[in-house]
Amino acid sequence: MTKAGNWQSYERVLLPPVENLHHLDVYRGHGGYETLKRVLEELEPQEVTAQMKRSGLRGRGGAGFPTGLKWSFMPPVKPDVPRYLCCNADESEPGTFKDRQLMEYNPHLLFEGILIACYAMSLNACYLYVRGEYASWITHLEEELAKMYDANLVGENMLGTGHCMDIILHKGAGAYICGEETSLMESLEGKRAYPRIKPPFPAQSGIWGYPTTINNVETLACAPLILGKGADWYAGIGAEKNPGPLLYGISGHVNRPGVYEYPTGMLITDLLEIAGGMRGNKKLKALVPGGASVPVLRADMIEGVTMDVESLREAGSMLGTAGMLFLDEDTDMVAFLRRVAHFYHHESCGQCTPCREGTGWMENLITRIDDGEGNLRDLDLLLDLCDQMEGRTVCALADAAAWPVRNTIQRFREDFERRCRPAVWAVNA
Amino acid sequence: MPQVIIDGKSYEFEGRPSLLQFCLDHGIELPHFCYHPSMSVPANCRQCLVDIGAPMRDRQTGEIQVDEQGEPVIQYFPKLQTSCSHIVSDGQVVHTARSSEKVKDAQRDTLEFLLINHPLDCPICDQAGHCPLQIQAYKYGPEGSRFEFRKVHKPKKVKLGPRVVLDAERCINCTRCVRFTDEISKSGQLTIIERGVKNYPMTPPGVSFDEPYSMNVIDLCPVGALTSVDFRFQARIWEMASTPSITTTNAKGSNCHLWVRDNLVLRITPRANPDVNEFWLPDEDRLAYRRFNEDRPAGPSIAGGTRAAFSSWDASLQRAAEILQSAGENAVFIASAYATVEDNWMLMQLADAVGGQVAGYIPHIDPGHGDGWLCTDDRTPNRQGCERLGIYPIDETLWRARIESGEVTALYVLEDDPVASGLCSVESLAGTEVILHYHHTTNQTLPAARVALPAAMAAETIGTFVNESGRAQRVIPAKAIKGTNRTLMMQMGLSRADRHGTPFDRWHNESHYIDCKPSWEMIPMITRALGTEINPQGPRKIMQHISETNPAFAGATHDAMGLTGIDLCLKESFQPAHLEGTH
Repeated sequence: MTKAGNWQSYERVLLPPVENLHHLDVYRGHGGYETLKRVLEELEPQEVTAQMKRSGLRGRGGAGFPTGLKWSFMPPVKPDVPRYLCCNADESEPGTFKDRQLMEYNPHLLFEGILIACYAMSLNACYLYVRGEYASWITHLEEELAKMYDANLVGENMLGTGHCMDIILHKGAGAYICGEETSLMESLEGKRAYPRIKPPFPAQSGIWGYPTTINNVETLACAPLILGKGADWYAGIGAEKNPGPLLYGISGHVNRPGVYEYPTGMLITDLLEIAGGMRGNKKLKALVPGGASVPVLRADMIEGVTMDVESLREAGSMLGTAGMLFLDEDTDMVAFLRRVAHFYHHESCGQCTPCREGTGWMENLITRIDDGEGNLRDLDLLLDLCDQMEGRTVCALADAAAWPVRNTIQRFREDFERRCRPAVWAVNA
Repeated sequence: MPQVIIDGKSYEFEGRPSLLQFCLDHGIELPHFCYHPSMSVPANCRQCLVDIGAPMRDRQTGEIQVDEQGEPVIQYFPKLQTSCSHIVSDGQVVHTARSSEKVKDAQRDTLEFLLINHPLDCPICDQAGHCPLQIQAYKYGPEGSRFEFRKVHKPKKVKLGPRVVLDAERCINCTRCVRFTDEISKSGQLTIIERGVKNYPMTPPGVSFDEPYSMNVIDLCPVGALTSVDFRFQARIWEMASTPSITTTNAKGSNCHLWVRDNLVLRITPRANPDVNEFWLPDEDRLAYRRFNEDRPAGPSIAGGTRAAFSSWDASLQRAAEILQSAGENAVFIASAYATVEDNWMLMQLADAVGGQVAGYIPHIDPGHGDGWLCTDDRTPNRQGCERLGIYPIDETLWRARIESGEVTALYVLEDDPVASGLCSVESLAGTEVILHYHHTTNQTLPAARVALPAAMAAETIGTFVNESGRAQRVIPAKAIKGTNRTLMMQMGLSRADRHGTPFDRWHNESHYIDCKPSWEMIPMITRALGTEINPQGPRKIMQHISETNPAFAGATHDAMGLTGIDLCLKESFQPAHLEGTH
């Protein structure tokens, strides 16, 4: 019995197997927006937040912060002081594609979650910041949102309850850094997306300087489930300290890559089996369990490890976004790291010195090693650069860039050393 | 009073100061690039990192926990903090690079990062010598670099606007220039473009960086990325001497530094004065440096022969005295809002000695030029000074008529140009003996002048100017004049003689010494020739005398003014009622 419980008989709730669920009428036909209506009519906002807290839901955007707690950070309502919810749909972490599925197949669950969150925090506007590259999903969301306005599910006097809530769709322009909550707000305000210094945290000073809460798509989509089926039901799914259904985005050298919905706390080995095993019956070499920035795990490190915050921390990695990248035995870890380093070099916003200069230097060094012109000392220099970048910048992008470098080199040092020029050349007889 | 312990020493503080500013105010040096006291704090250079902790408190009782030795247990932030963005609070313990290896390493690491893509072209960079990056790299940086790759290449010598040139490779992305245009000048003409290591400041498409305060970004830039079109490659910093002064292009009297090499003013930069111009200087004030070097006269002259035939000072002043003597009470004196308080006061003494009349000063108002900040409608530096002396704007209709009628037999003009300002024409002055103190050979009254006396400008003299809000500020000589004047030489300081060129310097050029005299030196020489001895013993004593006898200048001695000036009493307290509404 794993933490995930009886997962073989798990029934999907985030992405239920209902045809055309993305249409408003189908969604409503399956009981959609009933929870919202009940919440608006029967519950006080504090009770909603209390339920969220009780459910034990932790944010699905990567940091894993308890959602109910985050909602409770919003300051008391003051007249004439606007407050905002922001839904972070700027999903750009390499290896992560779960929010896209939600927006495609079950967008109304997200909208319903947004409206519940708006009610819980007594606010009436939510910005939905969608990654610009998700152009077709944006069109789709816009269409569904228009239908909602027509059906009076959102807007003035929504559902006849006297509440007024608006959802504003905002398109990103293709920068990874906009997924960082404070730079997302800057971008939303029309400024250059440079992350802000925290504190003040968004709950004190967010969009336009007003109290703001930012949640991930999957996090908000959980709200109707928690309020509809009960916090206890939710808390009973999956791992005890990190419960709930989870979208596992599985990619890499597996037979059936894709997004799979299962409880948290699944054994990594089970998930690999679900995804059809390794392609061509190759052996697993490495696994990135939660998006490109989390530390990579060697194949011998995943035995008995489950997909939840605690277990992965013990194993030396993080849950992140649960975007799992399986790499087979033929994978060149140097080339893998080169690509990851290139990404962070390309996406560093350039605000802080260590990240702006460090990410490029790292890519240079790894490229040199990959080209066979690296030296053994370059590996130590790379680890030094990780020390020089980590924890010294405004946002966490420098950390995200340094972790994979540090861990890939430490955990696959032989692969790197083999590609470097020897420190001492053999003397030919 | 709340206390903070920095490097083991405790300091008291008030309010909520930022740690970096607090340290700088208390002489604790912290390296930094992006922080500027008058702008927002982005904390992006990451250079001012320090280790900050606070005494650990018991969660229940709130008491400070102590260890076995009875010392409070300090709980440090898990990460190093940027001191610029950290607000000091009571009891905090701060370690700078002086007491923490961790901080020292972090500051060295940041400098290593900053330098990897920096072109290190200090030998040809205008900023070298007073470059925060250069200074701090030597002081806090690594000994060498471990970077072995091609540096990032970015656009060089980009002309952002008519006065500012960008070298994007030198830029360290501190965003000071962008924040200046956003927050201080509010023109919004600069932004950062590109991303990551390719970032550099640029104007939006189709926009020229031509705002009237654009050159401030040159001083703000902590490296040589933004340079002045005019000053670029003109001089090394260490070849020049900087003299604290004030600008004389308008009535604001912004504080500045005059940078002089070989007796040429090569540039003008702002000097911080929170009561006048804070840290800023408009472009028009900076571009005025040429006025000190160009079109300057070659010596005194007496008309009658040809203009080119220059005379000696003795002969010229003797001639001036003769003219005044014969004119007697028909001599008319025009004061000047361009001249110092001391010069105008001396002119009044001369008028008294001759028995003539001071007609007033010629106002130079350019309506609409002022911006409510550092530019004013008034293009003269000392209108208030004149009025506080009791000299008022000249009645142009009246005096134009009198000059044209030939009633005025001698006209004594102090450092101004009545022809250019439209008071009279060269023709109408044909019957008038004009004595002219002038700055530039472009002076249009010069053809009408019987005696032309080159006067020292603000960069060469000692004197007091009173700005539009009644602040008295003094100037000291930044460059030497040709003649010997011990008062000027004393103020200039002996140590700087070399900056003005000795015959041993390869760039020494004797012609850069202007043959002029301060008006306060010339006028006593004229009165002496007239037989009236006025010996005020230099501008310092003149100002001492004025401050004691004229309540509008109460307390305005040179010592009291110092380098930043003093506020005089309100204008209303000395202005005669009949002149109200004329300003």
